[in-house]
Amino acid sequence: MNWAFFCSLFITALATNLSNSEQYQEELTLRPLLDGKVAAHFSFSTLLRGAVPRAPSSLGTDDTSQHYSVFPLALGQILREHAIPEFHLTINSGKWDYDRWGHPGEPGVGSGAELWAWMGDGAYASVDERWKALQNSLSGLFCASLGSMDTLHTTSPTRAFPPTGDLPRLPAPHAHSLRHATLPAERVCTENLTPFLKLLPCPARAGIAALLEPHKIFDADWHGLGVHVRWRAGAGVELTLTVQVVLDPVRISAERRRDWSLRSLFDRSIPRACSIATSSVIRVMPPSGSKVGEYALTPETWASVNAGSVLYDLTNDTPELDIAMRWPDEQRFSYSLEMSPLSDLSVRRTLKGSSQTHGELSIVIRNNQPVTFRTHYLETMPWHVELFLHTLSLSCAHSEKCDSLFTNMTYTPSRPHDRPALLQAIIELPPDETVHLSLRVRKAFLRYQEHPPDAQRGWDLPPAVFVPVDRPHRRIYTSASLVDLATPDFSMPYNVIIMSSTLIALIFGSLFNMLIRRFVVSKLDDEVPTSTE
Amino acid sequence: MAFEFAFAVAARVVLALSPLGSYLQDDDQLSSPLTSYSRLQEGIYLFRHGVDPYSGGSFRHSPLALSVFSTIVPKSRIHPTLLWTFFDAVGAWALVNIWRSRSNIQKSERDMRIAAIYLINPYIFLPCLALSTSTLENTLQLLVLMFSARGQSSPSLLALAILSHQSLPAIVQLPPILLLLLSDPQSHLASPRSFSQSLFKCLPLFVEFAAFFVALLFASTLVAGGLGWVRNTWGAGFLLPDLTPNPGLWWYFFTEMFDHFRPFFLMVFSLHMATYVAPLCIKFQHDPLYATFLLLGVLGIFKPYPTLSDPGLFLSLLSLFPEIYPYLRYPVVTALLHLHAFLLLPLFHHLWVGTGTGNANFFYASTLVFGLANGGALLDCVWAGLRVAIGEEKDGWVVTQE
Repeated sequence: MNWAFFCSLFITALATNLSNSEQYQEELTLRPLLDGKVAAHFSFSTLLRGAVPRAPSSLGTDDTSQHYSVFPLALGQILREHAIPEFHLTINSGKWDYDRWGHPGEPGVGSGAELWAWMGDGAYASVDERWKALQNSLSGLFCASLGSMDTLHTTSPTRAFPPTGDLPRLPAPHAHSLRHATLPAERVCTENLTPFLKLLPCPARAGIAALLEPHKIFDADWHGLGVHVRWRAGAGVELTLTVQVVLDPVRISAERRRDWSLRSLFDRSIPRACSIATSSVIRVMPPSGSKVGEYALTPETWASVNAGSVLYDLTNDTPELDIAMRWPDEQRFSYSLEMSPLSDLSVRRTLKGSSQTHGELSIVIRNNQPVTFRTHYLETMPWHVELFLHTLSLSCAHSEKCDSLFTNMTYTPSRPHDRPALLQAIIELPPDETVHLSLRVRKAFLRYQEHPPDAQRGWDLPPAVFVPVDRPHRRIYTSASLVDLATPDFSMPYNVIIMSSTLIALIFGSLFNMLIRRFVVSKLDDEVPTSTE
Repeated sequence: MAFEFAFAVAARVVLALSPLGSYLQDDDQLSSPLTSYSRLQEGIYLFRHGVDPYSGGSFRHSPLALSVFSTIVPKSRIHPTLLWTFFDAVGAWALVNIWRSRSNIQKSERDMRIAAIYLINPYIFLPCLALSTSTLENTLQLLVLMFSARGQSSPSLLALAILSHQSLPAIVQLPPILLLLLSDPQSHLASPRSFSQSLFKCLPLFVEFAAFFVALLFASTLVAGGLGWVRNTWGAGFLLPDLTPNPGLWWYFFTEMFDHFRPFFLMVFSLHMATYVAPLCIKFQHDPLYATFLLLGVLGIFKPYPTLSDPGLFLSLLSLFPEIYPYLRYPVVTALLHLHAFLLLPLFHHLWVGTGTGNANFFYASTLVFGLANGGALLDCVWAGLRVAIGEEKDGWVVTQE
């Protein structure tokens, strides 16, 4: 009896201790946009208080046992197994329209899958081996083909992707290094969302995660998942799972109105709060372009209002919640034709030229601000699109000389069948200036086994990234472009081997036949030809 | 002679200054990844901006070319055009000199015709308009032959060492060049005899060549700041990393090759080129210049990255050997095959990669025809070179090989 009492006391103490060491917060930000769409940013973050990333040098030895109550064990094991202090994975579908939608809540919005990780060396397995292992583990966890991020896709652009948290100190010769890869053709789908939801403590039952209904999420104009792990010295290891969607209430409304509610957008409302969460809030931003009084927000049980943005706090006694925003006086939503861009920069990247051997990479960058703006420019090109840097030229809309705007260039040339090219530079944009950057490229010819099964579709090029020098978290991704490469005939390998070999054998054989035989002069037998006539 | 020569060169300059050159510059048949002018410019750009040009795959010229052109080629288009035309003029001059040595006379009426055959050969002047560095290789090649025909061993071996750095397959002609330096360039096709000198006399010449070669190797390594250039320049000929279409036989074969057989066939193709050296040198030991000529024909067909200028050089060199003309068996067929390939190659290339209406097989087929045309020319020259020795056929008698 006594023993049982102590035992239960111990378990309770342990559970309290665990819940104190792990903190779970969730937040949903809803942002009605100028073009009638609604951007939703779900963020679920778990903090392992006091946890320290595993030192790479301890990789060969037995790890301490892992006990988590909220933090997903599957992800925790991956982090410990490969000693990863920080990684970021995003899988997105669609093109984020910076001009109309502004900067996203979470900057990783490039099309396709993007993975980057900071890792320390000094382990028995090299950084590249662990990078490969990390991809394979994450592919298994999220059912995505991240394992194809081989050396053909991997780069180390340290200036554009600084660590967002802190990196543990390593013993003297060792340092942390970055690995970054993009798979622009990777699509996000239900099979990625289902394992993603399993990592949440309240999956699809309670709290704001209840809104993640796959049909609606994947019907959105733009949608993406993100997994972000970082370490903050003093706080601990922080895992943030994000879902971003841009939904279009005008499209689903029969009257073409932009009124929305959680039920109309997500087909669900929030039944109850997630009791594990230490904080669970929904933030509704004021619609850009609408004045106060033009729209109404229900229910009016919000916790606080700050500069027009309304905060709902989900607590255990919150009843079922369905937030709705209406424009009572508006019969029909009309798109405004004149919209000034909401982002710092507007970037358009295109690959010009119809030939399958050559093309021109053209990038138009417009500074939307009245001040000079310095930005990192990062271009990752797969080896089959070779950059001819000597043809790089800049022209400006308003001034004559602008070659000097392109500075601090570093370049790693691509190597055929092996690694991509990495071009980094700083571009200085004068106020309200448009800079046009152009570069000739050469398209390579691939071996027939290197072509994808749908070879005629072309290859997706990873997006270029612009990172403002003073605001590194406001990255801008260009849209991914498609490059058309010449294809061989895929049905021909045997024919080609046979025909080329025949020609070589013909020349070789005839030549040696001539060289080794002697000339003879023989008398013609007169009677044979005459007899045939 | 001098006036006509100047006129032909001036005509070339006018053509070179026309806008035709900028259209041709990136043509795959005129410049290969190893000889392209755009890639040369890219290498110079990277070199000047502190990036190792050999760390990537876009630059495959030798460090010698890099150091020379990074100092002399300016940015405008006119200067390289004039420089390339000058290379071709030097090549034509060298060809005339080879002819003079071979026929052992100071001057002849054929001089001008020989220069013209070089200067207006489309296989020679189109790559020159495209600023392909194969023009420079051809000039070096002709200088090698000229110096060896004149018996000037050191300049000849130095030029051959430079040429081999530019294009490694050229090294296969070292044995016949050594034989040529020890004998004379005059035609002995009609009177075959065994090589009169002792072969041991080749040894000091070979050592001299090796010394030049190693010295250039050191210079290249110094320029490139490491040995990384070897893989990018010479290695490209063995490993074929760039499968850009060219008029040769390698590119489509290795585009379509199964991965697990690739190393084997790369080895076979490389060795195959070397198998011709000894038999041709032995059979034509009485006329090493002719053996060199035939080996250049072999290179024109079987080089890993040929351009039109490689078979073009072989065809232009044909003008040095008028004694074999009566014994060619099917010159018309060869000429027609060449015409056929010359018209189809650019057409099918454009249909495939330009407009996208044809596929790779069309262009591949025309490279096969081109290979057949070059093979036909080579085989005919081998036959005629051997046949000269027997002389005219008399009525009622026939000359055959047993």
